[in-house]
Amino acid sequence: MATHILFESASGLAVFNVVQVEEIGAKTKEVQESIQDLSKFSRMVSLKSFSPFKSAADALQNINDISEGVVNDTLKGLLELNLASTSKKSKVVLGVSDRFLAAAISSELSISCDNSERSLELIRGIRLHAEKLLKGLQEGDVKKAQLGLGHSYSRAKVKFNVNRSDNMII
Amino acid sequence: GRGGARGGSNVVVEPHRHAGVFIAKGKEQLLVTKNLVPGEAVYGEKRVSVDGPDGTKTEYRVWNPFRSKLAAGILGGLDEIFISPGKKVLYLGAASGTSVSHVADVVGPEGIVYAVEFSHRSGRDLINMAKKRTNVIPIVEDARHPNKYRMLLSMVDVIFADVAQPDQARIVALNAHHFLKNGGHAVISIKANCIDSTAPAEVVFASEVKKLQEEMFKPLEQLTLEPYERDHAIVLAQYKRHAGA
Repeated sequence: MATHILFESASGLAVFNVVQVEEIGAKTKEVQESIQDLSKFSRMVSLKSFSPFKSAADALQNINDISEGVVNDTLKGLLELNLASTSKKSKVVLGVSDRFLAAAISSELSISCDNSERSLELIRGIRLHAEKLLKGLQEGDVKKAQLGLGHSYSRAKVKFNVNRSDNMII
Repeated sequence: GRGGARGGSNVVVEPHRHAGVFIAKGKEQLLVTKNLVPGEAVYGEKRVSVDGPDGTKTEYRVWNPFRSKLAAGILGGLDEIFISPGKKVLYLGAASGTSVSHVADVVGPEGIVYAVEFSHRSGRDLINMAKKRTNVIPIVEDARHPNKYRMLLSMVDVIFADVAQPDQARIVALNAHHFLKNGGHAVISIKANCIDSTAPAEVVFASEVKKLQEEMFKPLEQLTLEPYERDHAIVLAQYKRHAGA
């Protein structure tokens, strides 16, 4: 079971501590209601570290790497800083949304990763409450970052299509 | 252009029973949305300007049911659309953004539309439309791989899907597992012959509904889009990540 969660957002990358909640994977009404309630969810996870992107270009580089499952220096630095020191005392297991990125982190950084339903449930909860959980963000910051990054990511996709033709879906 | 010249005192705009949607009543009745960017049409659609009691003008854009499945569904009498002012909507199959622009009008400045389109040709138009409408976040990416765009999304209230792919139900489910709030809704336009061109449309609709049920969706309503589209249906469902009520 994951002891930590990696959460990637348009504003930056974050690592959360997981307080052991065994029943989180169970799809019961009570568990779902606790996730929706910020005061209860705050007892399941706590922010360990949030590393905001330095610029729009930095954000674009990160989304390109992360969507391709590449462990870049930003991610490597964040994980080594926050997870390496604790690994001797207790076993670290990092919950990651994407199994390709999870595999890359495991092989390059020797950090065990978890892609189970339980981790995905916690990531859903973090996504729901992100604006409140990520320290230093003000109301509206998340939307602003998503808007800027959505445009730059999409513009790059369209621009780098060298054939200028359509990608056909068969 | 002159698109806005048809309003004035001859046309009265009344709210539709779905919040954020309006009906313009003049010589004929037209479905309209309140233009987020007054003075501009997105795809050459007609505009209607009406005078408020205090001399202010409000501009609406005509929403053509032959060009938008959601508009067809509303005129066809859907009980609910779940898309209303302030809501966050994940729109799969955004195409050039014509229909998306109306959804953006409906959710208004407090809402957000995450508009996903894989085709680069349509994506260019979508990006241009979104330059003016800052509540639209354009995402040129494959809706089959929601992890690729996970950094761009918050949890959403509604998924609207018009992807016309054989594995549409799976695409909707994958996106729901990542991004749809528990208790949120899916509004899915199903084109029967995109899924199975040999089976009767009703059989295709029923099998799509069954696939959704296997993915934690509870079907609420189904409506065919005649006379605007042939062999199309809109299916509404609620997402429940737990058993029981």
